[in-house]
Parts: sequence; structure tokens; C-alpha cells
Amino acid sequence: MTTDEPQTEAPPSFDDTIWSTVDGALAGISATPERGVLDLIVHIPPDEVLRGLTALRRHEALDFDYLRSLTAVDNEDEGIDVVYHLYSTTHRHNVTVKTTLSNDDLTVDTATTVWRAANWLERETAEMFGIRFNNHPDPRTLLMPEDMTDTFPLRKDHPLAEIEVLQGEGMGYTEEGQ
Amino acid sequence: MVTPRALEHEFETQDLMINMGPQHPSTHGVFRMVLTIDGEVVRDVVPYVGYMHRGAEKLCETMDYRQGIGYMDRTEYLANFNAELSYVMAVEKLLDIDVPERAQWIRMILCELNRISSHFMFTGAFGTDVGVFGTAFTYSFIQREIVQDLFEEITGDRLMYAYFRPGGLAWEVTDNFVARVHEVLADMRQGVIDIDGLLTHNEIFVARTKGVGYISGQDAIDYGMSGPALRASGVDLDIRKAEPYLYYDQIDFDVPLGEHGDVYDRFVLRVEEIRQSIRIVEQCIERLQPGPIQPERMPRMLRTPPGEVYIRTEAPRGEYGIYLVSKGGNRPYRLKIRSACLSNLQALKHMTVGQYVADAVIVLGSIDIVLCEVDR
Repeated sequence: MTTDEPQTEAPPSFDDTIWSTVDGALAGISATPERGVLDLIVHIPPDEVLRGLTALRRHEALDFDYLRSLTAVDNEDEGIDVVYHLYSTTHRHNVTVKTTLSNDDLTVDTATTVWRAANWLERETAEMFGIRFNNHPDPRTLLMPEDMTDTFPLRKDHPLAEIEVLQGEGMGYTEEGQ
Repeated sequence: MVTPRALEHEFETQDLMINMGPQHPSTHGVFRMVLTIDGEVVRDVVPYVGYMHRGAEKLCETMDYRQGIGYMDRTEYLANFNAELSYVMAVEKLLDIDVPERAQWIRMILCELNRISSHFMFTGAFGTDVGVFGTAFTYSFIQREIVQDLFEEITGDRLMYAYFRPGGLAWEVTDNFVARVHEVLADMRQGVIDIDGLLTHNEIFVARTKGVGYISGQDAIDYGMSGPALRASGVDLDIRKAEPYLYYDQIDFDVPLGEHGDVYDRFVLRVEEIRQSIRIVEQCIERLQPGPIQPERMPRMLRTPPGEVYIRTEAPRGEYGIYLVSKGGNRPYRLKIRSACLSNLQALKHMTVGQYVADAVIVLGSIDIVLCEVDR
């Protein structure tokens, strides 16, 4: 943690959370805490997120060995958040890790080296949001057709419409039987 | 005399690729896997999912909070109440409203009964996978039908209940609810005994399933498995105990754990869970008191403040999570459904490689997948 950490000026206290331990585990990584409704949320920049996740997994007092969920949220102009929900089966605590990707560079390192559970979840997130997970061992589509790699349904700019409309709009949907 | 080693040199064996599914009776839906086999032994498995992808998450973004309840039924059609529960709890958490006690107890009763019916569905379908088609299947389905009848009486629908609401329940249960639940429980107790006799202690069944499809607890955690499939490997992780929701902390029940992490353990564990669920329902029924089932003042249109929450509950197949992001307004900004089966399926390759090709089907069956939930 660097000295210009904005956490000191934030009024809410994180004493009742595991933030102090997380802060210690993430030494050298610029992480900012946020109080979630249930769990502590930690924001980490995309270029450091893999190091951060590895540190959270390896740290003895934290031991986040279970990846509950991995997904993304499209915030339109503010970029896309990749969200990791972590859990420790030994210590029974949760943390949410968030990293914000800018719209010009939708790439982040894969977490499959930390948890094998990330494999399919990243494949799904990649095809739905157009995020590229660097060094992913199996970068195929999961739920979408194999050839549909140019349209991203869960982005906010993707219309919710019937297939005939989407074919007309040139969204990359091919005509039936082609 | 020809030694086996000499044989190996003499015959060049070639790997054979077999396509199984998506239309195959033992894949429990539209699931496809490509098996690479060497003789009788599976060398590689490539699963393909997504044939049922309907974009439930995207659809939920376009409709208000009450309309989304119906979509939860359609993702997890064997444990609808458990799926609805995660969703309404997420909305309640963001709205910060308290649910009346009676509504919570009824929710618990229905969720546990749903777990029982889902596990009976499993015992029947799994028996078919193993090859004891007929008796075990019909006996299980009779039990499931009995529970389904009760649900139909309460909600008016056989499968798509849409009965839970943010804040409580849609309407009051029937007048004879308590008596009917006792009736159903009596049938369930007999049902477990039947299944034990037909399958659990059946010598052929045991020989067929013991030691097949092993996965260690460490690997299961790493793959993100949850529910009975994880606990069969000896990992003590049940969200009802680890992070109690509803009133599970006031109820006395055990979490059965497996020792061997094989197909047989996954089966026996579910049968044992039926027994525990019966225990839970018995205790809930005793504590059920008359009272309101909705908070006094509920707005006509639910508007959540900005925020996000990840709610997880223990559904029959594992952790059913709802990640709800709100930016204000009457509909979710983003709704992510954490599917237990998707994560469990990831471990399929780990469990199947090295097994006989005939066992690939029962390993898949032992995960108890619902493809609608995987694809959403």
C-alpha cells in the first residue's frame, strides 16, 4: 500500500471488516476499499488485479480458495467492471474484488492460474462483454455459437430484439441455414 | 505365449472420438460432450453447453423487480422456490425491508420441500442412468408428484410458481396447509425407505457406482463446485450453516458429508439430505404462527437505491447466487445468476478422464445437472 492511499481520508471505518488483513496482503498494490451491502469490496486496477488475486489466494490468514462467481458490469462510458466474488472455505469470509477496464482496452489477465473455476466463467464473460482475458487456456465461446465472436449481448448498447430485427441491423447474426 | 506388452507393440491402437448429445436421453437436457476414447477408457472430454441460452439476465434488465421473479422459475425448474428465494432476498436487501416472520417460515418450508422433490427427481433419474430403469424411477416420481400437488394447491401452478415476492409471499397459503404438509412428510419418510431399499443397499447399484468418478475436496473447491457434489468430497460447506439466512440458525439439522468423493457418495448424500430436510420442515411447521405475510406498507412500484449485492443460498444443486446491481429505478441495472451446475460441470472432465466410457454417463448423472440453469 502506498502512502497516498485515499482510504485514510474516507470517512467510513473498516474496522469491523477484514480490510486491514486484506490491506496487508495487498502490499505494493494500489487497492481501495468500499463498503458493500454484505461484503467488503476492493477496487484494484486491471494491470495489478492478477497479482492482487494471487496474493489474496496465497495469504494464510485470508486463504480465498473458492471463486464464487466471476462476471462483468457494463457501465457504458465509464468502462466495464470485472467483478470477482471470493470466499474462504476455511475462514468463512467473503470479499468482492472489482477492476474497471476502460473502453479502449478491454483486456485483463486470466484468473485461471489462481482458480480453475475461472475457466468457464471467464469464457462466458468474454463472449458476453467482449473482454479479452490474456493467456486464457481455452478462449472459445461457451454459451454463444462458435462463430459469434463479434457481437456482445450483455453490453448496454446491444438491443433486446427478435432475431429477425438483429439480422437486419447487421449485428453479426447470420440468416437461418447459412 | 504373447505377453500383453508384445501385443501393445503389435497392434497400433487409435483413439476414437464419440459424440454424445445434444439430443441424448441421459444428458438430462440438451448437453453435448465429445469423448475421446482409447478402447474402453475415456482419454478426453470436451463439454458443450449453451443450447438453451435464452438471455435471462438480459431480459431481467428490461423488466421491473416483480416481473423478474418468473424468470427465476424458468432458470431452475426443479428447485423453483430456492431460485426465487435468492432473487427476492437480493431485492429485499437493496430495499432494506424486513420480512414478516410467518412469511419466512413458509418460505423455509417450501424451499425444503422443494429440495426433497428435487432430490427425488435425482434418485429417479440417476437410477435410470445407472441402468435400473423402472421401479426406482416410478417410486421416486410418485414422491415428487406428491410434493408437486401440494405446491399446486398453494400457488396454482405445477412448475412455474412465482409465489415469493420481495417482502413476503404473494398470498396466504391454503387453510389446511399444516395438515397437508404433515401428510406429505409421512409420504416422504416412506419414500426414503423405499429408495434405500431399491438403490442405496442394492448390491448391483453399489458395485456399479462405488469408486467411480473420484474428485478430491481440494480439487472440488478449486473448480468452484458446491452443494452435495462438493460435500461428497468431504468439504463441510453448506451455506445454510456457514452463512445462515432465513431462520436456519434456529433450526437443528445436520450436514451430511461424504468420505470418498465418488458417485456413490454423491447419491447417498442426497438421500441423507432428504431426511434432514424432513427434519427441518417438521421443526418449521411447529413454529409457524398466524400473522401477516407481507410488510404493512409495500410500495406499488419497487424502486431500489443505487448499490449492489451478491446473495447466495443453498439450492439443491449447490450455491444459487444472485448478483444484483442497481443504479436506482425500478429495474436491475445488471443481474447475474450464479449457476451451481455450471461450476459443477467444469469438473466433469476431471472426474471422467481415466474412467470407463460406460461410467461417463453416471458421472454426469451424479452431478445432477439442470441445463436450463447452466445456460440461463
